[in-house]
Amino acid sequence: MSEIIFKPCSLKEMWEEMPNLPESRKYMAGGTDIVTVENAGFPSSECWIDISDIPELATVKEEKDHVFIGAGVKLNDLETYPFIKKYCPALLAAVHDFASPSLRNMATLGGNAGNASPCADGVCALVSLEAAIVLRKGNAERKMPLRDFFTGPKRTKLEKDELIYGFEIPKKENLLGQYFKLGPRAFFGISKVAVALSAAMEGNKVKYASVAIASVAPVPLYAAKTSEYLTGKELTEDTILKAADIARGEVSPITDARSEADYRRDMSGILLERALRSFLN
Amino acid sequence: MKNEEIIHADEDGFFTIALNVNGELGHMIVSRNETLVEALRHYGWKGTKKGCDTGDCGSCTVLFNNKPVLGCMMPAVAAHGGNITTIEGLGTVRNPHPIQQAFVEAGAVQCGFCIPGMILSTKALLDKNPEPSEADIRKALDGNLCRCTGYVTQVQAVRIAAKKVKAMKKQQEKLAAKELAAEKRKAARKTAKKAAKKNK
Ligand SMILES: Cc1cc2nc3c(=O)[nH]c(=O)nc-3n(C[C@H](O)[C@H](O)[C@H](O)COP(=O)(O)OP(=O)(O)OC[C@H]3O[C@@H](n4cnc5c(N)ncnc54)[C@H](O)[C@@H]3O)c2cc1C
Ligand code: FES
Ligand code: FES
Repeated sequence: MSEIIFKPCSLKEMWEEMPNLPESRKYMAGGTDIVTVENAGFPSSECWIDISDIPELATVKEEKDHVFIGAGVKLNDLETYPFIKKYCPALLAAVHDFASPSLRNMATLGGNAGNASPCADGVCALVSLEAAIVLRKGNAERKMPLRDFFTGPKRTKLEKDELIYGFEIPKKENLLGQYFKLGPRAFFGISKVAVALSAAMEGNKVKYASVAIASVAPVPLYAAKTSEYLTGKELTEDTILKAADIARGEVSPITDARSEADYRRDMSGILLERALRSFLN
Repeated sequence: MKNEEIIHADEDGFFTIALNVNGELGHMIVSRNETLVEALRHYGWKGTKKGCDTGDCGSCTVLFNNKPVLGCMMPAVAAHGGNITTIEGLGTVRNPHPIQQAFVEAGAVQCGFCIPGMILSTKALLDKNPEPSEADIRKALDGNLCRCTGYVTQVQAVRIAAKKVKAMKKQQEKLAAKELAAEKRKAARKTAKKAAKKNK
């Protein structure tokens, strides 16, 4: 089998070349998940499309009602944009706890979503921000809520050759964000459980809340019931404990090499409590 | 460097990539399942260390287009078209870079295995932020594990390095200004001479 690596400089060039490439072609962005699979370079494929040098995928911009983050943006670059700080605080909090600075110079949000792991931190934060994922194939584009993009561990709704183009995060005023993660190392690597909370407060009243939890379900979980319960409530110790209980009821964790189901369930609640308390005046 | 678009594997499955290592433009012949750290070491850049090979320790850190990346997490083929700086690109034993001097002065080196990675992370930090706080320093070195020291001397080393790099830059600016002034004087003398000739 002859193998090729295709490194297009633009999307136009990529789509034009696509029909001439071998059938079993795959995308690679930062490569940090792909390399880990075999722990040595690329797994075998007739063709890898290296999309790490495509400028269009590296754009971040503020639009009228949303913020757009390209799939190929390196995680470390996110903190340089003031509007990301303003409209995506949970994402910045997650990036802070994401691996190490050098890994964040390689890893992308497109890869985080493409890998479709239930423990993906960037994705979990984006789900709490109610982000939409933008997919492209040639000139065709489709969008869906990011939370609906995953169909199971390592499985997504991506069609053959379809590319994750980027993410749209709706703008919400006075948004607060937290990301709390438990893992074997304080700031590093894959979590046992992680909670993303995006909220807007009016004094101690929760005007809006959106909770996502990683590593506790087959896909990054949007905690719909918890979010709904919190929205409109006065944030008291009682509400906080009740919300944590609802969250524990929403998760369906398993026991694996990294942690145990009961611990994960319990910590989902505890991390949410901590995140909520940090918003108390 | 301009990217070639498609790199074909040869009959034995090897790819030829073009890249710039420490200012030397060249080619490397690498296999699909070779990481950048392996390729670099294979080609003699042995200052880059391989510790865990799982992205956890940071000893394989190199600068890729001036930003620190992990050599063990980057497929060598993905480095095609890039600019790489390894520890050998900073200084030599006889002529060390100020950051290297600072690490020696602070006594921040024991076995030394983590140091190339630490120094390159420091280089990237100081390029971006010439006066880092202790928190900035600790954040920048977050991914560089050291099994010998307690990190205290290394934080100190980065502080000293910041001062040294600043002094070096000042010195360079002074030199550049001096050269510029000399150039200007030379030009002025030339025009004066020309004018004198014309007047004769
Ligand atoms: C040491 C270490 C620590 C880590 N720590 C964390 C952590 O703290 N939190 C966390 O969430 N993850 C972590 N990871 C996992 C990994 O770094 C992230 O998932 C990262 O975001 C993957 O991005 P990438 O660009 O490297 O993806 P790649 O490895 O390039 O790709 C991953 C998958 O997505 C596909 N893909 C990539 N881009 C696209 C696209 N635009 N369109 C369609 N498909 C695409 C690829 O085909 C592949 O299947 C860690 C990994 C390592 C090695
Ligand atoms: S060898 Fe690359 S991080 Fe340890
Ligand atoms: S000096 Fe030995 S690992 Fe850091």
